Amino acid sequence: MKRLRAIAFILIFLLSGLFIYVAEDIPPLGDPMAPPIKSVKLFSMKMEQIVPLLNQGRIPRELSKELVKRGLPLPSHIEKIPGVKGEWDAFITKEEPHYAKEEKYYWIKQKGGEVEVSRYAFVVRWIEKGLKETAVPNMVTYGLADYRGYDTLGETTVIFTAGVSVILLLRRRSRL
Amino acid sequence: MKEGGQERNIIVETVARVMIPFIQLFALYVIIHGAGGPGGGFQGGVVFASALILMVITFNLAGGRKRFPESINTLLSSLGIYIYGGIGLLALFFSLGAAQYLNYGFIPFTTLFEENRALAMDFVEIGIGVTVMAIITSIFFDLAQKERSGKKEEEGSSSWNGSLQKSLQNTTTGSSSSS
Repeated sequence: MKRLRAIAFILIFLLSGLFIYVAEDIPPLGDPMAPPIKSVKLFSMKMEQIVPLLNQGRIPRELSKELVKRGLPLPSHIEKIPGVKGEWDAFITKEEPHYAKEEKYYWIKQKGGEVEVSRYAFVVRWIEKGLKETAVPNMVTYGLADYRGYDTLGETTVIFTAGVSVILLLRRRSRL
Repeated sequence: MKEGGQERNIIVETVARVMIPFIQLFALYVIIHGAGGPGGGFQGGVVFASALILMVITFNLAGGRKRFPESINTLLSSLGIYIYGGIGLLALFFSLGAAQYLNYGFIPFTTLFEENRALAMDFVEIGIGVTVMAIITSIFFDLAQKERSGKKEEEGSSSWNGSLQKSLQNTTTGSSSSS
């Protein structure tokens, strides 16, 4: 009985934690001005020597040294985001058949006296390049059937397994 | 008149007879429309299965099984996954050694890589819809039949088919005698 109570207490604690974690993302309960999670912040650096190099489209040596130290892939080139002051996109090389060999990877942002380096989430590619890559206008469908094709195959197999187990448990003496 | 749930309700039967074709058409629309708007295989399959279930509830279980027999049901329930996995295997073959399983762009439906992906996605949705429809119908039939066979086993009949036919005969004779 005591152990059950302890387990129940732990479960309630974990569930309330999960609830808070989920409820933070609901706009009326959390921060209404929170931006969608499009990037993950990696680190920030001193800005004096970096910014002119970034504006020229060259990769600063300090930046690549920091990236190597953290085990992150090195950018192949850097572009200024048009229309925004003090923000840059860094691209990395990748190997995927039939598509452009470079992908937007780092988001470099000038913030106060420092330069902040973030990594783009997969959602950014999903939103920006999905229509171009799959020729399907529905974002949910190309996510479900193409980018996550293995996942959907597994889901269909789960449904099939459910049906087969119902047949095995409930069907009697009838021809299959 | 009311024994075995075989009561005829003229309003329900008429409404179901009118609605079922439209529900089925809507289900096919949802499956095919999955690439262009809201919809997809799972939803369309469930809507199609609901049309079949409505038919079975309105008319009787034996008639529903006659129109959608067990053999075809079992065949369809695995056929959907075969379509899905087959599309993936086609991509594997046509990628010529690059081993791109489920990368639909390599299947040569058209000359454009992106259009191939869009078309193969439609086939995948059809596969999902077929499996979901067949499995949900199968689960419904199994649950409904289990209840009936349990009821009849108390009377000592051997097989489900025989018991159902007996019950149908009973109801028909009972209704005719009462009316």
